Amino acid sequence: MFGWHGRLLQVDLSAGRARTESLPEEWLHHYLGGRGLAVRLFRDFFQIEPYSPEMPLLFATGPLGATAAPTAERMAVVSRSPLTRTLYDCSVGGRFAQQLKCAGFDVVQIDGRAAVPMVLAITPSGAELLPADSLWGSTVSTTIAALNGRGSVVAIGPAGEHLVPFATIVTDDGNAADRGGLGAVMGSKRLKAVVVSGAKLPEIADPARFERAHNDILRLFRAAPVLFGELGLGAYGTPTLVDLLAQRRMTPTENFCKTFFAAAANYSGPALRAACTPHKVGCCGCPVQCQKVTADGAYLPGYEALSHFGALNNIGDLTAIITAIRTCHELGLDPVSAAATLATWGEVRGAFPTAAELVPLLHDLVWRRGAGEQLCAGSRQLALAAGKPQVSMSVKGLELPAYDPRGAYGMALAYCTNNHGGCHLGAYPLAHEILRKPAPTDRFSFAGKARMIKIAEDINAAIDSLVACKFAFLGAGIEEYAELLAAVTGVDFTPERLKEIGERIYLTERWYNDVNGFSVIDDCLPERFFREAGSSGDGIEVPPLDRARFDEELQKYYRMRGLDAHGRFVDRNFLVSLPC
Amino acid sequence: MLSQLDKYLGKLHRDALVKPQRAALLVKDDKLLAQGPADLSSLGAAILERINVLALAIAEPLLPLTDLLIRRAAPDCRTLVPSDTETRTFLHDIPLVRKTELTTGASALLADLLGSRKGIIVEGVGIVTTGAMTPEMAYINWSSVWHAVFVKYLSDLLTTGIRSPDDELMVAALREQYRRPITLADCCVRATPPVERSEIYAQIERIGRCTVDLQLVDSAFGNISWRDGGMIYISQTGASLDELAGCIDPVPCDNSSTVGLTASSELLAHRRIYEATGARAILHGHPKFAVVLSMLCAETGCENIDCWKDCPRIRFLATTPIVPGEIGAGGLADKVAPVIGAAGTALVYGHGVFTLGREHFGEALERLVAVENWCRQEYFRRLVVRMT
Repeated sequence: MFGWHGRLLQVDLSAGRARTESLPEEWLHHYLGGRGLAVRLFRDFFQIEPYSPEMPLLFATGPLGATAAPTAERMAVVSRSPLTRTLYDCSVGGRFAQQLKCAGFDVVQIDGRAAVPMVLAITPSGAELLPADSLWGSTVSTTIAALNGRGSVVAIGPAGEHLVPFATIVTDDGNAADRGGLGAVMGSKRLKAVVVSGAKLPEIADPARFERAHNDILRLFRAAPVLFGELGLGAYGTPTLVDLLAQRRMTPTENFCKTFFAAAANYSGPALRAACTPHKVGCCGCPVQCQKVTADGAYLPGYEALSHFGALNNIGDLTAIITAIRTCHELGLDPVSAAATLATWGEVRGAFPTAAELVPLLHDLVWRRGAGEQLCAGSRQLALAAGKPQVSMSVKGLELPAYDPRGAYGMALAYCTNNHGGCHLGAYPLAHEILRKPAPTDRFSFAGKARMIKIAEDINAAIDSLVACKFAFLGAGIEEYAELLAAVTGVDFTPERLKEIGERIYLTERWYNDVNGFSVIDDCLPERFFREAGSSGDGIEVPPLDRARFDEELQKYYRMRGLDAHGRFVDRNFLVSLPC
Repeated sequence: MLSQLDKYLGKLHRDALVKPQRAALLVKDDKLLAQGPADLSSLGAAILERINVLALAIAEPLLPLTDLLIRRAAPDCRTLVPSDTETRTFLHDIPLVRKTELTTGASALLADLLGSRKGIIVEGVGIVTTGAMTPEMAYINWSSVWHAVFVKYLSDLLTTGIRSPDDELMVAALREQYRRPITLADCCVRATPPVERSEIYAQIERIGRCTVDLQLVDSAFGNISWRDGGMIYISQTGASLDELAGCIDPVPCDNSSTVGLTASSELLAHRRIYEATGARAILHGHPKFAVVLSMLCAETGCENIDCWKDCPRIRFLATTPIVPGEIGAGGLADKVAPVIGAAGTALVYGHGVFTLGREHFGEALERLVAVENWCRQEYFRRLVVRMT
């Protein structure tokens, strides 16, 4: 077998044992890896409660991993989210994914619950559980430092241990499974960290074809200003979006009451460059290197976290913002959900947190002290408890990221159709509505957006299963990656076949949601976006969303997906129709 | 969506690229929408049923170069590989389908090919392209394939010669079509530099429209900028030069803002050129004859195989230097800036022409027109030599 190892490592924390299973080749061909393979593996588990010992936590690599395919040293971290109660996958780049693949496993499935805190150590010969009493309660960086030398590490912080439903799993190279609370699932298993090392590279079926496809992709990267341009992601990281989204008047400000924040320039890409003199780092295997670190090795935050601790909470103090985000990192908290929950709390109490309050509030949140008792459950539960559910700016319980949907109508639709809630990454309409890739679309129009979102969701589900970085597709396309995949695996994958696979993955997730009770009422944006205008200016008008057009496009979307008017499956035997 | 269909079908006709009544554009929204003749729409619908894209363009070019290229190709040839930069970067190659393959199930074959490439050429039908996300993409891909086909056919005539009476007829037709030089309408040339920001935008928009009207770009692409003090005003990436309203980014020269993230992929080249020359305006287009000639080299015994990016020499077409270089961050910026100052013009191998306006936009446009006019004359001169 080329590309894959065809091996799954199953670890039972309750029993303290591990075993290796073969993955059916048919599954790999129909679900690829990463998100797709995880979706297939979850068929027997998707109705289990997130914190139940029987709920698996998966780390799933893809067929392009460890092959030198650009941006493909990634994995999907997957389980059922305690925040949204949907299946949730995070695409995470870096060494851990590479080492896991090199250890000879495509997937690690972690079941059960340890009696005492543990660290899981994975090597090519299997797995070992190490006691972690001394690490329990430690911050992320302390934990990672303690395990230094044993391989690549992922760890949770105190937030995961305390079952904060937006806790993260952080890697030793500054990446994270940051959204959806998978750190809490790991915490519920009393698993503090996983270390992995390996050296077994997968074989490539056709190295010459791989080389050609690789060169085609790099040529497209070089032609894409958003990747390699002097203002692009390689130069500034995602903070390069701060200025652009401010200019487009779609910066969520003061809990989405406004869409323009005058002090956003304080934490823009150029501001960070001036204040921190960062240099480039990034995931191994990635030529873009969009992460930035300071001279002393501290990772600088990305756009969403900066904007939400900044504009969303009406804070323009760069130092306070960076400190708050680093605190989230150390505690193992998703900075986007944390900042959004603080903003919701701010609107409820009538005053957004001050810069000085941020760090104490984050600690209170994790240890459920004072206001932390309200904050620790996320914005939806906080707003419900306060009797103001309308001030939670979330979809399916997932706090919206830093792109105001009144400034991009495809984004508005995509937040709702995303299977795990208010996330921009499922369809990534930012690409065409703002970044003009692969072609610009009218961001203030719903025309055609249902089809565009549907196609993009299918493609991105395949991308998340390869597993490649979405930023790569701001330059290259599914066309080039299909060629790369065919070269690696020796299997005749085409772009259309990848889209079919992506559609299968998306629909399976949607089916799980359907069975778990989700429907059209969960595919809805907060009322604010339909009633209140954004912050118009500089010749840009930002009206409220047109509810009738939104509903019309959502219904179109349902028809394209073969769903009924309630967003539910007409075919109640959907799973039977799948090839495997 | 219907308005989008009308707009881009209208553009194909307006650009005089397609035969009258032989172009169709289709969109798969929640229902299939189609504009164009029944036979092409029907074929397009059958293809769209099989692939997961939003739009499809299918049209017969005004000049039958697709069919001529297919006839010139070896019987076992399955793809055309034009050497121009746009094809190399974005299309890779162009699958071709012969009439003999268009039996029952033609739509399945075409859909299969279009599943892996943005555009294909089909003997007796023309060019078929997809638009993954928008109707505009189908139009752009059609236009890009046409540009590649045109450049390849003209290049092949000079390198491998005329092979049939059809080629001879086409050469005569091309000579007639391109006999007269491009002339600038008065409205295109503005000899006064813009002062106010609104004037800058207005002049950029007007000059952009002129380059499209004069067919100096492909797919309405290219880029244009104006330097005003510490600011560069530049067209956005993927912007059609005939529709630049709202698509011009102001980029601070000191990079104090990243608003220019959506600026043209050639922002770096423009910046370097301004630094090297002190000019005020830059225009970059892809005029066809200049692109064709830029790829023809008289050098013999050269071991370099990647001329488009590695050629160590600076060649000249009249006074215009030709340099290698990939677009965007691929090195083009470092190659053009040092050589463009002398003549105010530079050609990038297989890609297109950069021109300067030292004081105003009109100069840049005049230079672009002059380069293409010279290249047209030179092309046909060389073709006559080749034929004799």
